[in-house]
Amino acid sequence: MATLSLSGILRRSLIHRRARSISALIAMTVSAGVATALLTLYADLDQKLHKEFRSFGANVVLTAPAHTELPPDALAHVQQIAGPDASAAEFAYAVATTSTGTAVVVAGADFTAAKKINSWWQVDTWPAPAAPGAALFGQRAATAVGNAQTVTLKYAGNPITLQNASRLTTGGDEDSRIYVPLAAFTAWTGLSPSVIELQVPGGASRVEATIAQLKQQLPEVQIQPVRQLVEGESRIVDRTHALMYGAVLLIALTVAVSVLATLSASVLERRRDFALMKALGGSQMQLMAMFLLEALILALAGVAAGFLVGSTAAWIISEGNFHTATLPHISVLPMVLLINLVIATLAALLPLHVLRGLQPAALLKGE
Amino acid sequence: MFFRLLMESFLRQRRRKLLAGIAILLGTTAVTAMLALATTIGDRIHKELAVYGANIIIYPKADQLEVKVGGIDIKPASSGSYLKESDLEKIKGIFWANNITGVSPELDLGSGGMIRQVGSTSPAPVSAIAVWFNVPFGQLSTGAIALHPWWKIHGQVPLDYLEKFGYYQVLVGSRLAKQLNLSVGDRFSYTPPPGMNILKTSDLSYQVVGVLSSGDQTEEKLVLPLKSQIYSDHGKLDLRLSRVELTARTKPEDAFARKNPDTLSPRDHDRWYCSPYANSIAYQIREAIPGAQAEQVRRVEQSEGNVLKRISGLMWLISAAALLAAGFAVSAAMATAILERRGEIGLMRSLGASKAAIALLFYSETGLLAIFAGTLGYLAGSGLAAWLGARIFRGDGGSPEAILIPVLLPVVVALALAVAIGGSTPSIRAALRMNPSAILREDA
Repeated sequence: MATLSLSGILRRSLIHRRARSISALIAMTVSAGVATALLTLYADLDQKLHKEFRSFGANVVLTAPAHTELPPDALAHVQQIAGPDASAAEFAYAVATTSTGTAVVVAGADFTAAKKINSWWQVDTWPAPAAPGAALFGQRAATAVGNAQTVTLKYAGNPITLQNASRLTTGGDEDSRIYVPLAAFTAWTGLSPSVIELQVPGGASRVEATIAQLKQQLPEVQIQPVRQLVEGESRIVDRTHALMYGAVLLIALTVAVSVLATLSASVLERRRDFALMKALGGSQMQLMAMFLLEALILALAGVAAGFLVGSTAAWIISEGNFHTATLPHISVLPMVLLINLVIATLAALLPLHVLRGLQPAALLKGE
Repeated sequence: MFFRLLMESFLRQRRRKLLAGIAILLGTTAVTAMLALATTIGDRIHKELAVYGANIIIYPKADQLEVKVGGIDIKPASSGSYLKESDLEKIKGIFWANNITGVSPELDLGSGGMIRQVGSTSPAPVSAIAVWFNVPFGQLSTGAIALHPWWKIHGQVPLDYLEKFGYYQVLVGSRLAKQLNLSVGDRFSYTPPPGMNILKTSDLSYQVVGVLSSGDQTEEKLVLPLKSQIYSDHGKLDLRLSRVELTARTKPEDAFARKNPDTLSPRDHDRWYCSPYANSIAYQIREAIPGAQAEQVRRVEQSEGNVLKRISGLMWLISAAALLAAGFAVSAAMATAILERRGEIGLMRSLGASKAAIALLFYSETGLLAIFAGTLGYLAGSGLAAWLGARIFRGDGGSPEAILIPVLLPVVVALALAVAIGGSTPSIRAALRMNPSAILREDA
């Protein structure tokens, strides 16, 4: 007769009672999967939300002192300080007159940069910046200049002829302005940019740090945060973060307790095995080690499967909601492992604790 | 006999029932809390997003172009056309009036006014605006303070109405205060630019009660109370306004919202009109106030819609995940509970009970348990959602409202029933299929 080794009993127990092993494995997989999915989403949440807030546009505005212009290398300087993930756009302003003598604000802008930073601008067709007479007419400006095909404006006696083809609607000051490409604007008026709109991604602390650095490097320029954006963003990200934290705890607790209940029930069901082994001379320690080891093996397998399932779920949720993928985070693995091991340990030890005081003979007799 | 079996089962197997009941209770608690949070998250985040200010703006249609660079209006102030304050009453009558959560009218007095301080002989030019600070409007108490939550005031918020023998209380922008050396408590007189003769101008009738830091061009202006000008020396006046900012609860814009309502079929037009899009609210305001142009502030409205959609989308997906996890947990617990009772099934069958009778008994037990624990879970979940919501969104000025959404009760209980019955079905069927003597022998 082959000797009865611990690994032999374990293997037999897992394989022989296949249905029970599988249902325990599924339970452990679900708990690991849910934990992985929620923790992965949670780890990425702030970054994803901050990205959404980029649609609010510039959160820092740099303005040259009145009647002056920004230094020519200001934009490059700002971009370098703010980092490659920040977007910046420069604007130049002049008050021109139409042929009827109406004053209108004309802005020179890099259309590509303006489009990137001001995603809420509603523009029917963006004009090609290189096209002659390319311009973007704010809706109120367009009404004021009449709906002529071409519009001639004068600044300090110099005329410019613009194609009145593209409409801009924002509901803000931009509605009263006419935007022309910066190169054409400078050639016409001789003015250079006086305002840089800068969007610094991330929370309030990064914006403040960037402003402090900018102030040091460009002391003559007036630099102001768009306060409502900076404060609002942090508040909302913090609250969503807290909400998500609550949800994660709640769901994890539910799953953990249910899995615990299921697993301990299946251990309780085996009290006859327990009694038999005890009657055959097994010590309490040996039995505990065996049940524990079995549960831990299942827990480990559950973590492996659950990590895959959970990462996929997180990827799908993130793709569906934020339209950007969330890659699996290896960093959540230790946490998931810990949660599953705690559940498994409790599920194995709690019922054993209940059974400890019972007599094997009584158990075997079926009492 | 059936009811006795049912009752005895609940009375005698308390531990088993408790376990299954706890699983259902926890599952429904989690699901109820998540669903309750997900359904109310829109309003809560909307409140948070109010920090971005107005999402709809009204200005006079015939107004000339704003010639504004860097927030400073270059155009002479008297040349514009105006809205009338009495027009604001009409906003209360539009279809979506109840969705309007804030109104802030403003009169731009331009930069032509003069200020004269105590002890100084020469007046200095100054830009000024007049606003509501905190004025009752229908059920609301609203104005510039509510619509500009990023304003920081050192001192106090001025009163809108002139107190008897009091002074006109005003705010002074922080940069202007530094420039003119004005501080809280100082008195001065203000002469509005010509053509703006609605403001009373007796000597030293203004008093600074707060210094305003706003982070924008308002820091260079005087902020006067619009309302206290109504009873001037000229009797009651209908005030002129240069613009009105509105905040409204809106539905995020979709493709349908962008349609031009005048080109829609009558049925679609009604549907468009009766949806709380920023566009349709603006359209209704244009209808109500002749001569007014109302627009959505796209920077605020579009971006808010975006953020709102993402956050509530996330909550719904998490709720779905919670539902899935809870469903699995409950059905697993039910399956285990039935599995444990195979012996009973064998005994009943050998005593002559039909399969249908046994199935009915077990399903009734499961159903009762699901209804009972599901209802408890609904209550616990609602409480939890209210508690979580109040903790996370505290300090919004709103009372911690209880989230008891009655419509969720049948939904949650039905879900609990379906999951519990669905989870126990395979085990019941497996137990019924087995030979009773085999089950009994195995247990012996």
